[in-house]
Amino acid sequence: MTRSALSTPLLAVRGLTKRYYGLTAVDGLTFSVPARSIVGLIGPNGSGKTTTIDCISGFQRPDAGEWSLDGCRLTGLAPYRHAVAGLTRTFQAVRSYEELTLIENLRVAAQEHDGHGWWAAFMGSEALRRAEAAAEARGRDLLSLVGLSSYADHSAAILSYGQRKLLAIAAALMPHPDLILLDEPVAGINPTMIRSIEDIIRRVNREGIAVLIVEHNMQFIMNLCQHVVVLEQGRKIAEGPPALVRSDPRVLAAYIGTAPESASDG
Amino acid sequence: MRAAWRWSAILGAVGVSATFPLWAGSPYGLELGISVALFAVLSTGLNLVYGYTGLLSFAQVAYFGIAGYTSALLWTNFEFPMLAGALMGGLLAALLGLLIGYASLRLSRHAFAIVSLSLALLCQIVSRDWVSLTRGPMGIPGLSAPTVAFAGIGQVSFDRPAAFYYLMLSYAILVLALLYRLVHSRIGRAFLAMKLNQPLAESQGIDPLGYRLLAISISAAVTGIAGGLYVFHLTIVDPSIFDFYYTEAMLIMVIIGGPGSFWGVLAASLAFSMIPDLLRFSTDLRMIFYGIVLVTAMLAFPRGLGGLLPARIAVPWRCRAQA
Amino acid sequence: MGPGVDLGLPLQLLINGLVLGVLYALIAMGLALIFGVLEIVNFAHGELYMLGAVAAYFLTTSLSVGYWGTIALTTAGAVGLGALFYEGLLAFIAGRGFERSILLTLGVSMVLQNGALYVLTATPRMETTPYSYRSVILGDVSIPLLRVFALGLALLAFAALYVLLHHTRMGQAIRGVAQNRAAALMVGIDTHAVSRLAVAIGVGLSGLAGAALAPVYSVHPTMGVAFVFKAFAIVIIGGLGNLPGCAVAAILLGLLESVVGGFFSPTLVDSLGFLAMIMLLLFKPEGLFGRGVRL
Repeated sequence: MTRSALSTPLLAVRGLTKRYYGLTAVDGLTFSVPARSIVGLIGPNGSGKTTTIDCISGFQRPDAGEWSLDGCRLTGLAPYRHAVAGLTRTFQAVRSYEELTLIENLRVAAQEHDGHGWWAAFMGSEALRRAEAAAEARGRDLLSLVGLSSYADHSAAILSYGQRKLLAIAAALMPHPDLILLDEPVAGINPTMIRSIEDIIRRVNREGIAVLIVEHNMQFIMNLCQHVVVLEQGRKIAEGPPALVRSDPRVLAAYIGTAPESASDG
Repeated sequence: MRAAWRWSAILGAVGVSATFPLWAGSPYGLELGISVALFAVLSTGLNLVYGYTGLLSFAQVAYFGIAGYTSALLWTNFEFPMLAGALMGGLLAALLGLLIGYASLRLSRHAFAIVSLSLALLCQIVSRDWVSLTRGPMGIPGLSAPTVAFAGIGQVSFDRPAAFYYLMLSYAILVLALLYRLVHSRIGRAFLAMKLNQPLAESQGIDPLGYRLLAISISAAVTGIAGGLYVFHLTIVDPSIFDFYYTEAMLIMVIIGGPGSFWGVLAASLAFSMIPDLLRFSTDLRMIFYGIVLVTAMLAFPRGLGGLLPARIAVPWRCRAQA
Repeated sequence: MGPGVDLGLPLQLLINGLVLGVLYALIAMGLALIFGVLEIVNFAHGELYMLGAVAAYFLTTSLSVGYWGTIALTTAGAVGLGALFYEGLLAFIAGRGFERSILLTLGVSMVLQNGALYVLTATPRMETTPYSYRSVILGDVSIPLLRVFALGLALLAFAALYVLLHHTRMGQAIRGVAQNRAAALMVGIDTHAVSRLAVAIGVGLSGLAGAALAPVYSVHPTMGVAFVFKAFAIVIIGGLGNLPGCAVAAILLGLLESVVGGFFSPTLVDSLGFLAMIMLLLFKPEGLFGRGVRL
C-alpha cells in the first residue's frame, strides 16, 4: 500500500445507499476524507450518520455504494478486515472489555496487527514476545496520552463513562491506524473532558492519523474539523470548512426546521 | 503465589496417575482410569469450543464416533495401524466440524447448536441403517490394538488394560498440555475478547468466524483421535458409540466445572467419571441423574462451580507476563 | 409405508409423503411456535411427542379407551402438561440466555427418555385399534385408515391454530410477542400468559401427533429422537420462527423422503433432512422463507 499524496483522499466513499423496510437511511452519499485531516460528519437526528459509519466500517451491509481506504477496496468486507486495513473506530454506545484491565484491553486491540499468525502465537517465538512487549509499551504510552495511566492495571469496570470513552479512543489508536472513526466521542461528557478529548484528537492528528468524527456537539466539531460534511435524511446537503458550513442556510434549515406555522389558530 | 500451589498439584496428579496401575491395577480399576483419561480429553475438548469460544456443540460425540468408525474400518479393511487410523479419524472429524461450523455460523451460534445436535442424532441413525458401510447394529468387531517393542521392557500388547491405560494417559496429558498452551496464548485471548464483546473484537481486527472454526476443528480433531484410539480398547465399534451418554457426561462436566475454567472442568470430569461407577447406577438411572443435575444447574447456577467462586473470571493468560 | 399398487406407485409415494409431511409439520410447528414466542429451542420436544404416544398406548391398551377418546384425552393432557412445563421450568429461564434454555430442555429430555426406558424398557409396543389394518382405497392408491385419520387430525389442528392466531385476540397477542417482546409488554400484553399458552399449544401439537401416530408406528421410549432432529432441520429450513415456512418445509421434506425412499434406497432417507439443512445453510442461511417473516 503506497502512501498517497495529501491531495488524494485517504477514505473515498461513493454512492453509499442503505434502506430499511422502505425507509432510505442513506441515499447516494459521496464524500472523502483526505489523509491526515480531521473531518466532521454532522446532521440532525435520523440523518443517517451512524448508518454511514456502520457501513464504512463493515458493520452493516449497504444496498449500494463503495468505499476504499488508501486505494484499498473495502466494500463488502467483514469488519475485522477494515481494522486490519487501517480503519478503526469507536462506538456510540461505548464498548470495552470490562472484565479485563486497561492495559489488557489495549493489548487485545493490537494483537491482530503485528503480522504474527496463529502458529506463531501457539509456539510463542522470540519475535512474538518482542511484539507483545512493544504492544505493552505502546499501550502504556497511549494510556498516558489519554490520562488513564494510574488505572493501567485496574479492571476496566471501575472506569466512569467518560473514562471508558477515553479508553476506547486509546484502543482504536493501538494498531497505528491510518484513519480512526469516532462515533459521538463526546456525547454525555462534561466540558472539561471534552476539551481533553479535543487535545487528544489534535495530538493524534499531528502524528498523521486522519480522523472522521460523527457528533452532535457543534462547538466540538467547529473547533476541531478542517472539513465538515452535513447530512439530512440520508443525503449530503452541504460540505466545506466549518465557517462556511455553519452559516449555510440549508444547514440552518435542516437543524431548525421549516418556519413554524401555527397549525391551529382561532 | 498461586503458581507454586498449582504446580505441586499438577505434579502430584501426574505422579498419582502414572503409578495408578501399580496400586489400583484390578481390571475394574484400570477401566476406571481409562475412562477418566478419556473424559478428561472429551470434556476439555468441549470446554474449548463451549467454555472458551461460547459455541454450544453437541457434535463432539459425532466426531468421537465417526473417527472411531474410520479408524476401525481402516484397520479392518486396509490394515492401517491404530495410531494412523486414529489420526485419519481425527482429520475427518476436523473436516466435518469445519463443514458444519462454516455452514451454520454464518447464520448464528444458535443454528450451530441445532445443527451439531442434528449431526449427532443423524449419526446414531446412519450408523444403524447404513449396513453396507458400518455393518449396522452388529458393528465392526474384532479390533485389536498393536503390540509394540519397547527398549528395555520388551513386547507390550496394548490390548492389555494396563498398557492401554498408559496410552490414554499419555494422550490425555499431551492434549491437555496443548489445549492449555492454546488458551493461554493470544489465541485464547481472542476467544475471550469475542465472548466478552464481539463487535468490539471485530472492530479491532479479530476474525470471529476464523477463530471459531479454529476452535471447532481443534476440538473435533482431539475428540476424534480419542475415539479412534478408544474403539481399540472396546475392541468393537457399533452404533452405541454415538450414545447420548457421552454428550450428557461431557456437558455435565463442563457445566459443573464451569465453562471456560480449565481446571474446574478437569476436576469435574474426574469427579463425574468416577461417581457413576462408584455408585453403580444402572445406565438409565445414571442418565436420569445427569438430566436432573443439568436441569438443576440451569435453574440455579448456570455458570457452574467456576462461576460460584468470587472474581473467578476466566482470564487465563494474566499469570503469564509475556504472550 | 403402506401397501401400494405398482401402477400407482408415484401417486402412492406422493400421498404417503404428504401424510408424512403433514405430521412432521405438526411436530415442527410446535417447536417453531415455542421458539418464536420464547426464543427457546425445546430439546424435549421429541420426548413430549413420545409421551403422547405412550399415554395413548396405555389409554387404549390398559384402560380400553376408544381411539377418538384417546386422541382427545391425550391432546388435552398434553396441553395441560405444556402449561405446567412452562410454569414449572421454562418461565424461570426464558430470556436468560440461549444456552441455558437448550441445556435445561436437554436435561428434561434426558430425564423423560431415560425415565421411560427405565420404566417401560426399550421393547417397542404396538397399539392396536379397531381401525388398524383397514385402508382407504382410491383407485390405484391405498392409504391405511389410521393415516387418513392422522392426516385429518393434523389438518384440523392447523386450521384451529390458524383461526387462533389470526382471528382471536389471544392469537394476536401471541403474534405480537413473537414479533417484539418488549413492545408487547409496553402495550400491556401479558407476556407470561401468552408464553404459557404458546408452550401449551406447542406441546399439545406434539402430544396430538404422538397419539395419532401411536397406532401407526410402534411405541418405544426413543421414538421421539428421529422426529426431533428432523423437526430441527425443518425449523431451520423454513426459517427460525417462521410458522408457515415451517409447514411448507415439513411437507416438502415428507414428500422428498417418500420419493427418495420409494425410488432409491430407503436406508439413507433419514439423512435427507440433515443434508437439506446443511445445503440450505451453505447457500441461503436465512432459510427458504427468511427469518424476517414470523408467525
